[in-house]
Amino acid sequence: MTESADIVVIGGGIIGSSVAYHLAKLLDISTRIVVCDRGPMAGATSASCMGHLMVTPDNAQEYALTKTSVDLWHGLHEDLGGFDYNPTGALYLAETDEDQEMMPVLHKQFTENGDKADILDKQQLRDLEPGLADDIPGALFYPGDGVVLPMLAAGAMLRGAQARNPNVVVRPFCAVKGFERHGDGISAVVTEQGTIHTKTVVNACGVWAPDIGDMLKQQRLPIYPRAGNLAITGHHVSPIRTQLLEISYLRFAHAASEVDPTKTDADAGGHAVNMQPQTNGGCLIGSTRQFRGHNKDLNRELLRRSLQRAQRYAPGVAHAPIVRTWVGLRPYCIDNHPLIGPWEPVPGFWIAAGHEGLGISMAPVTGLLIAQQIAGIAPSVNVTPYLPGRFLS
Amino acid sequence: MSGRIPGMAERELVEFTFEGEKVSAWEGDSIAMALWAVGQTDLRNSSSNGAPRGVLCNMGICYECLVIVDGETVRSCTTMVQPGINVQRGGKR
Amino acid sequence: MSGDRVLEADVGIVGAGPGGMAAATKLAAAGLRVVVLDEGQRAGGQIYRQLPKGATSQAAMPEPPSHDHGHDLIKEFEQHAENGLQVIHGATVWDAQPGLLWFEHDGESRLLRCGHMVLAPGAYDRAIPFPGWDLPGVTTAGALQVMTRGFGVVPGKRALVVGSGPLLLPTVTSLLGAGVEVVAALEASSRWRALRALPAVAFHAARRREAMWYLKQLSRARVKLQWGWTVFACEGDGRVQRAIIGKVDGNGRPRKGTERTIECDVVGAGFGLVPSIEIGLRLGVPSQFIASRGGHCLVVDAEQRTSVSTVFAVGEICGIGGAEVASAEGELAAVAILRELRGAEMQPAVAARARLERKAADAMLSAFAPLPGLHELARPDTIVCRCEDVTRLRAGQAAAMHGKTMRAIKVGCRAGMGPCQARICGPSLQAMATGDNECQMDLPVVQVPLKPVRSETILNAPE
Repeated sequence: MTESADIVVIGGGIIGSSVAYHLAKLLDISTRIVVCDRGPMAGATSASCMGHLMVTPDNAQEYALTKTSVDLWHGLHEDLGGFDYNPTGALYLAETDEDQEMMPVLHKQFTENGDKADILDKQQLRDLEPGLADDIPGALFYPGDGVVLPMLAAGAMLRGAQARNPNVVVRPFCAVKGFERHGDGISAVVTEQGTIHTKTVVNACGVWAPDIGDMLKQQRLPIYPRAGNLAITGHHVSPIRTQLLEISYLRFAHAASEVDPTKTDADAGGHAVNMQPQTNGGCLIGSTRQFRGHNKDLNRELLRRSLQRAQRYAPGVAHAPIVRTWVGLRPYCIDNHPLIGPWEPVPGFWIAAGHEGLGISMAPVTGLLIAQQIAGIAPSVNVTPYLPGRFLS
Repeated sequence: MSGRIPGMAERELVEFTFEGEKVSAWEGDSIAMALWAVGQTDLRNSSSNGAPRGVLCNMGICYECLVIVDGETVRSCTTMVQPGINVQRGGKR
Repeated sequence: MSGDRVLEADVGIVGAGPGGMAAATKLAAAGLRVVVLDEGQRAGGQIYRQLPKGATSQAAMPEPPSHDHGHDLIKEFEQHAENGLQVIHGATVWDAQPGLLWFEHDGESRLLRCGHMVLAPGAYDRAIPFPGWDLPGVTTAGALQVMTRGFGVVPGKRALVVGSGPLLLPTVTSLLGAGVEVVAALEASSRWRALRALPAVAFHAARRREAMWYLKQLSRARVKLQWGWTVFACEGDGRVQRAIIGKVDGNGRPRKGTERTIECDVVGAGFGLVPSIEIGLRLGVPSQFIASRGGHCLVVDAEQRTSVSTVFAVGEICGIGGAEVASAEGELAAVAILRELRGAEMQPAVAARARLERKAADAMLSAFAPLPGLHELARPDTIVCRCEDVTRLRAGQAAAMHGKTMRAIKVGCRAGMGPCQARICGPSLQAMATGDNECQMDLPVVQVPLKPVRSETILNAPE
């Protein structure tokens, strides 16, 4: 099979789907876009993660990116629907004195940006969430966060792309084997189903993004797999209606890692509570982090800690039946910021990858920024900190 | 009691409530079977379209027969009746 | 941690059906320390389902000749259970490693450490979706067996029995024994296809006796088995009130224009059995696909050994075969273990019986391998994943967008992600979603817990 495309998006997860959707929105209806994945569309990280739409308060730069993105999610829900979008808000739970001191700091970070947040005392917290333990000193409630089902969302965006532009082609089980080059640029993508002639390629392969770069003989992108253990309950048993985070989650998840991600035997891993109600009444329980290469075996110790801490905050978890546990791999970029932009050494090659635990949150804005940059339109959000060129040696 | 094979299965009488109504059963009955015996075959409503649902496999595999017993969601085909329990239809609380 | 929570045994056995009972009895009689973990409340498994303890059954249900074997097995097993054989009923195994079985029992999280393991967890009913199959009153054939024989409950007034394979007959006779009128008994296979089973029955004395018993019961009740028929749809208000039945062709495809309506308040659908191989897969036991044996089943050698050291598998999980196969293989596994541990003698008669029973079962069941055309019964708006309420149409959209594998369909529409862990929808989901009736189901991906258990069970799991 030989064909031509204006753009090939490699990677059919939440990022690749969003890129396809925004390209379909921005570009002419005759633009031929092929989205391919080596496995099922949305079958890798996007099928193994939590669907947190998170506006990050601990970093002003990221706030702009995530706030824009979460607002875009709302619009996608109105436009497309079908992915269990639930504007739950988020409760940042304080447990220790240190946590309690963080609450006004977080509050300030939200409100400084014109956003709304409420500090709740013990009683207000019980009123909002009667299923919580009664010894939690307090919490910050941020109404802007939400929950989606990531794999359904990816599917919805692909459908949305095809609805806007019938020349969007979706190819599951179509692994990329290599490229044909024209000078420094690309002239074709070679897949296991045939060759696609194109000059423009978007690398949205997440954990596997460095492998695509290898095929182009480029320096290896500093993206590493970071494993996360999850558990999901049966229907109707969730003790919570709001999304829960413990305040220490912010430190845990968003700081550039102290552990060397390449030393996969050295990391015992850590955990901080992140729990999400599902629309079928179940509850998704996370969140752990561990560098262990591509190992997706269950880490029983981290899973136990995860369930124990969930039970500490929501005692009703104890009797909740657990239907499934699994491990997903987050694409962790060495400076804990994603790559969204061109890879100059290969003209026509774009990178949209490395979002760690914020892939779902940042998918819409990532797709938008890539589409804008490809179309030559001024990006809606300052994209400079996320340009892949920062890693060029 | 109607719905019982004559001569089979008589044991201690056990009484419980389903949606506030008294139900008589035999010790050793599963909740699903005690309810079926009195003609109660629909145990919950589907969360997507509200359609009534009941026992499918009767051996604890399919999770169709969910009911709420004293606040906890359980499979009624693998949960035995106990005197005085309050059983409600399964599904959203 | 109470000593009770961790048990030790020479041999751990999963399942107290015919396979587990036969193995346990033989090993316990030889003086080994044996622990049996069983999900049910009493011994017998699904096929030899007993009434609850303390129940009397003066007006006994008529039983086929093969149930004598069941009674003998149960009697011997329960005798051993009073003399050192430890049997834990109501136990749900949720994780396994060679030599280790984690289980939930009575709200407690417990661990069985065992030198050898015999897996005999049996099988469950294969579901084929059809319009109205989700109505209350529509159950699997096995469910009606449990209802009548296991609880003495009368399912209704007028029962329709549909499906394919030898299990239709015991379903009909159990219903008749419960005083229910069987308005129709529909076997989807054609008479000619079923004739292939005849040699296996005719040349096997016990099966011949069994078949004659069933034919006599049906003839007495004037219930005629209809060949090449099945249910097309069920209808009713809050409960099934009538069924549309019709003819199918040799492939199982519904033949338009043959529909008839029949009033009924109970429908039992039995389209074969699916081996419960999850524990074996978790242990790393290799599997093979044999359609007439129920699909994916575990691979064992001539003595029921799997390639995972110390793990044996018997009965339905090695391929659907019925109670006699299970008890013969259970005994054979016990003999093999005794040889390993005690240097006991080979028992060629035991091996021969197991081989013979398995051969006879294979021959019979090959005549009733699942008919692919039955996958055409479901309409676009028929729910194919009952846990997540996913319609056939939605599953098809997921396959078209995300890919045709089980995983791709799951990811695209959540079918198979509910609490039944894809046991019910799995066997037909890919055929439903792709429209390819012949599509073979992917091997299930095994995840922990093997069955849903409480969070605190996982949390408090002994190591």
